[in-house]
Amino acid sequence: MAAATLSKAKRRKQSNFGQDNLVGYLFIGPWLAAFLLFTFIPISVSLLLSFTDYNVLANAGEFIGLDNFQRMFFEDRRYWRSVNATLKYVVFSVPLRLLFALAVAMLLNTYRRGVGVYRAAFYAPSIIGGSIAVAVMWREIFGNDGLVNFTLNVLGIQGPNWLGRPETAIWTLIILAAWQFGSPMLIFLAGLKNIPKHLYESAEIDGANAWQRFLRITLPMLTPIIFFNLIMQLISGFMVFTQAFIVTQGRPLDTTLFYALYVYRRAFEQNEMGYASAMAWVMLMVIALLTALVFRSSSYWVHYEAGEGA
Amino acid sequence: MKRSKVLLILLSIAVLVLPTLAVAAQDQTEVRISWWGSQNRHDRTIAAIELYEELNPDIDIVYEFQGWGDHWTKLSTQAAGGELPDIMQHDYARIEEWVANGLLLPLDGYIESGAIDAMSIADASLAGGMVDGQLYGINLGNNSEVFTLDTDAFAAAGLELPPLDWTWTQFEDIATQIQESLGIHGIGVLTSDQLWKSQYMGCCDQWAYAADGMSLGYEDDQPLIDYYNMLLRLQDNGGMQSYEDSVARGDQGVEAQLIVSQEAAMAYHWSNQIVAVWNAAGAERNFVMYPVPRPEGGQSQNYIKPSMFFSVTSQADQPDEAAAFINWFVNSVEANEILEAERGVPISSVVRDALLPNLGAAQAEMFNYLGIIEMDNSPIRPADPAAHSDVISNVFGPEFVEPVMYGMISPEDAAPFLREEANRILGAQ
Repeated sequence: MAAATLSKAKRRKQSNFGQDNLVGYLFIGPWLAAFLLFTFIPISVSLLLSFTDYNVLANAGEFIGLDNFQRMFFEDRRYWRSVNATLKYVVFSVPLRLLFALAVAMLLNTYRRGVGVYRAAFYAPSIIGGSIAVAVMWREIFGNDGLVNFTLNVLGIQGPNWLGRPETAIWTLIILAAWQFGSPMLIFLAGLKNIPKHLYESAEIDGANAWQRFLRITLPMLTPIIFFNLIMQLISGFMVFTQAFIVTQGRPLDTTLFYALYVYRRAFEQNEMGYASAMAWVMLMVIALLTALVFRSSSYWVHYEAGEGA
Repeated sequence: MKRSKVLLILLSIAVLVLPTLAVAAQDQTEVRISWWGSQNRHDRTIAAIELYEELNPDIDIVYEFQGWGDHWTKLSTQAAGGELPDIMQHDYARIEEWVANGLLLPLDGYIESGAIDAMSIADASLAGGMVDGQLYGINLGNNSEVFTLDTDAFAAAGLELPPLDWTWTQFEDIATQIQESLGIHGIGVLTSDQLWKSQYMGCCDQWAYAADGMSLGYEDDQPLIDYYNMLLRLQDNGGMQSYEDSVARGDQGVEAQLIVSQEAAMAYHWSNQIVAVWNAAGAERNFVMYPVPRPEGGQSQNYIKPSMFFSVTSQADQPDEAAAFINWFVNSVEANEILEAERGVPISSVVRDALLPNLGAAQAEMFNYLGIIEMDNSPIRPADPAAHSDVISNVFGPEFVEPVMYGMISPEDAAPFLREEANRILGAQ
């Protein structure tokens, strides 16, 4: 009897299939229209532009084949400096941010009083994360007479000029990234809550200490979450822009001239839209390639629990 | 069930369609205007616009303002989208490029018809806005580079004011002595590309760019090398703010100059900016304006330049109303009493005469200074080539100034590289 109702429901669903879709499409309509208009079409156009010398002010753009790419890879010294700065930023900021996120998520994965307040407090920096205000605040904190140097001064240490030194400027941005660990933290937190309690209980009975429990239960059970967070952070790491645009403007000595910032400069300050589009597409390819590599590697280190939904 | 589905469809259609219905009905004529500047300029210009709207209730001036860099980013993007405002503030360095690309309207017709009244404007004051024999920008004030000296700091350091034709050697001595006796910098960083452009006027009667804009215009790297070696000495002894410090502070506009906060006794800027600088520093301070120092036995490195223009764009919806506003902005005494020569010495003699008796300290000093420069200057050079921004952003800054000031490379090694790279970009235009 149960089977009969099920198949009946299925039939009705099939007959209404088209109509249901119509409503669905109407609802995603605004989003879809905006996506096509403001994302898909511009991205497609930029692919075409990357083979032209389109300049916003000066010319409509003639087809120049691969000249933009040739110039980028073999003639543009600043291009390679921007690649360098971006790689350094990604290599350090992504693991640091994930580490912080995981550590704080573990601290907050308890049922103490007021834990909700702490969760909100730790998430707050990420909400205001990419904003101008935070970047401006960071300038003040790491400025010559800023909070950091003031504190060091009290301790009797003469702090360096963080934003002015080529060795230290990028680190202020990496620390800023690590501080904005809120969204991976929330995802980790959700993941931690999904790990069945009985695993920890039986491990405890078997005499495993906290470190062993973390290493043998928490980490393996979290690998799908780590995988997801890694991909998301990798992508957003490569696209870093606002922080360098406001805090350091790519200086000093191009040590914080992140890729997206350089693309922006070429596109909107020198008006070289063709060249900038080519640079943007190389970035897209690199991110796609790295993401694919991480996906490939995932079969070696990501463990999915067989009995999903247990 | 069915009714709710209909409701859903209606709702989603409403979500789609509603935003497009939001069209405002307007009886006023809208004139859009965009300028760059400091906070002081924004405040004054907005006050003037409000007065104009009061006098012309049928006109609604919609304004946008931003800093120098953002101005060009925004306007060139708007140009590409066909969304330029009716009036845009323009600059001597860029006007050629914009005219060449057909983005500005010639204003000669408005001058002939008297819509823009040029009766009290000297031809020389309009000349800077001429491109290929046609007028594309109305000069908003005359300008020149300036070294502003804090006379109180000089007195405190026991220093005499230098002669008006002071040399770079004298300047270096003074900056060093200020640091020694007051413990503050003599001056902020002097690595601006403007100084590079005008530097060769003093020694060699040359300019950074060749007349055709296809290559650099100076033959000998030595004066540039000498100048940067002086900057390195001053950076070491504190006579000048360190480059590192200026990078850490970032570009925060003229109001953030070290002379304002009494962290330096001198400042380098454009003459019209004294209004913003003095305003930020406070009325009780005392400043005097000096020409740019010159090389030993050299000539003046100063030239008189239109500080900026108002131009009517070719994408303007209301070019006639735009011209009417520009006419009022330039010729009205009322308007200029609000603007107070913040964009430089006004070009209308009627306005100048009306302002003279009531000038504030900063404006009086600026009028006086322009008078001094008129007596002794170098002729203005052609507007910058289109590749200027590329040369400055991608070569002069990152390949010359920064490596030299951070001690990564000597001026002797960097100057030929600057020449080579700049020539490559200029030649490829």
